[in-house]
Amino acid sequence: MNTRRQPDQALPVVTSAVGKKYRRGWALRETTLVIPRNRVVALVGPNGAGKSTLMGLITGLLRPTTGGITVFGDHPTGKGLHPAVSYLAQQKPLYQHFTVTETLTFGARTNPTWDQGYAEHLVAQAGVPMGAKVGTLSGGQRTRVSLALALGKRPKLLLLDEPLAELDPLARETVLRALITEARDQHITVVLSSHVLAELEGVCDHLVLLHNGRILLAGDVRDLSASGVPLGQLALDRMRAAAQEEAA
Amino acid sequence: MIWTSWRLQRLQLLTLLGMLVVGAAAIVLLRSNMVDTITSTGLAQCVTQDVKDCTASEAMTDFRAAWSNLFYLGQAAILGLPALVGVFIGAPLFARELEQGTHVLAFTQSVSRTRWMVSKLVVALVPAVIVLAVLQYLVWWWLSSAGALGPLNNGPYNAINFSIAHASPVGYALFAFALGTFLGVVSRRTLVAMTAGLAAFIAMRFALSAVVDRFAPTQRMETTGDKSLGVETDGSLVLGRGWLDAAGLPVPEDRARTLIQACKAPTGAKPSQEEFLACLPRSGLAKRYAYYIPESQAWQVHLVDLAVFGVLAGLLLVGTAWALRRQS
Repeated sequence: MNTRRQPDQALPVVTSAVGKKYRRGWALRETTLVIPRNRVVALVGPNGAGKSTLMGLITGLLRPTTGGITVFGDHPTGKGLHPAVSYLAQQKPLYQHFTVTETLTFGARTNPTWDQGYAEHLVAQAGVPMGAKVGTLSGGQRTRVSLALALGKRPKLLLLDEPLAELDPLARETVLRALITEARDQHITVVLSSHVLAELEGVCDHLVLLHNGRILLAGDVRDLSASGVPLGQLALDRMRAAAQEEAA
Repeated sequence: MIWTSWRLQRLQLLTLLGMLVVGAAAIVLLRSNMVDTITSTGLAQCVTQDVKDCTASEAMTDFRAAWSNLFYLGQAAILGLPALVGVFIGAPLFARELEQGTHVLAFTQSVSRTRWMVSKLVVALVPAVIVLAVLQYLVWWWLSSAGALGPLNNGPYNAINFSIAHASPVGYALFAFALGTFLGVVSRRTLVAMTAGLAAFIAMRFALSAVVDRFAPTQRMETTGDKSLGVETDGSLVLGRGWLDAAGLPVPEDRARTLIQACKAPTGAKPSQEEFLACLPRSGLAKRYAYYIPESQAWQVHLVDLAVFGVLAGLLLVGTAWALRRQS
C-alpha cells in the first residue's frame, strides 16, 4: 500500500497509447486519454465501440495489449481494485440470494474504506427494504443497491458501465439524479457509458466519444459546444465522417 | 472475505453438518444394536476368531443375512462421499460465480483474486474433509466391532476395504474437489463441471487403482517348489510371482507353464504328487518367488495412494488458480 500515491496527487485516469486486442481483433486501438478530476464523464459510442474494454482496462480486469494506463498514479494489476475506484459492471452483478443487508456486509468485509452509514443512507433513500432478497428486487432497486455498494467504499472515481440500460424511463431519471447528486456532493469523478448520448447530455460535463476502438472526440462539454453546434449533432457528424473514412 | 465465503457456502455447509449429525447418530445406533445381537446370539468369539473356527455357523449365517446390506451401505457412504464433495462442493464453487457474473463483483472490491480464491477454497474444502474423516472413522469403528463377521474379514487389500480406510478417502476427496473446481473454472458452467467432474473422477479412480500398487514398497520372498508361498492366503497383496531356474533367474511364464504341464503328464499316466514335485526341479523350475506387500504394511500403500491423488489435486488447484488469474 505504501507504493500507492495519494488519490488527490494524480489524475483519475491517464492512458498512453493503450490498446487491447482480443482473438477476434482490436477492441481498442492506441488510445491516449486523460480523465480530469471532478467531472461527470459520458463515455459514448455505438455497441462494440470499446467502452466496456476501456472500463475493463481502468479496473484492471483486462490487461492492455499495448501502451500503459495509470489510475490515480497506479497501474491497475487485477489484484483487487484501487481503493479509490468503484466499478459497476453492465450486468450489475449481485449475489441474488443475499439480502440487501448481507450485500452491504459483503461490501464492508471486502473494502477497508467502507462507510456503512453512508451505504445504508443510500439504500434507505432509494426506499429499498434492507431485509429483501436481492433476487426479488426490481431492476431500478437492484441498480440502487449496486450503487450503494459502489459508493459505500467512498471512491474518488466511479465507473458505471451502461448503468441505465434495462431501466424504465422513470427509474432512469431517479437513478441518474441520485447519482449526480452524490457525485457533486462527494466530489467523485463519474464515468458513465452509454450508446445513447441523449440520455447523458443534460448531466455530463465531459464527453469521450468512441467509435470502432478509436476516440473521435474528447473534452469538456463547455469547450466542445463553444462552436454553437449541439453536442448530439457534433457527435453524429464525427461518427458519420469516421464511417465514411472507413468505407473509403 | 471469510464471512462472504461462508455465506456463499452456507447451504453446502449446513448440509454437511446435517449429514454428520444424522450419519453419526445412525452409525452409533447401528453399532450398539449390532453388538447386542452379537452377544445375545453367542457370536462373540467369532468376531476375533478365524471364520472357519466359528462353531455357531447357523447364527453366523443369520447374522450375515441380516447385516451384510447395512455394512455395504456404510461402506458405500464412505466410498461415495469423495465424489459428492467433488460434484456438489468443488464443481459449483467457481463455476456458479463465473456463470452468474458475480466473480466481477468480487474482483472489483479491494480484495486480491488470490485471497478471494484461497478463502473460498478453504471454507469449502476444510469442513468437507473433516466431516468425511469423522464419518469414515465411525464406519470403521462400526465395521471393526463386527470383526471377522463383517466385511473387514476380506482383508485390507479388498478393493472396497482399501478405498474406505486410512488416508485414502481424504486423498480421493481432495482430488475430486480439485477436479471439480478446475473443470468449473475452465468450463464456466456448473452443470458441465458437475457431470464431467463425476465422470472424470470415476474414470481416474479406476485407472489409478493399479498404478498406486506399483509405487508402494514391496517385499520379495522365495521358496522351493514343494512349499506354498503362504502370501496368497495370509491377506498380503501379491503383485507378481513366478518360477526361478537353478541359477536363480526368472523363468518366462509360458515356458514355466509348459514345463509344469509336462511334469503333470509325462507319459500319459497321471503321476503322484511326490513324482510331480520331484519332476519340477529336474525340469529347471527350482524355486518359486513372489513380490508382495504384507497385510501389516497396508498403511504404506494408503500413504502412496494419498500422495498420488494429493499431487494430482495440487496440480489441478494450480491450474484453477492459473485459469482464474487469466479470467477477466
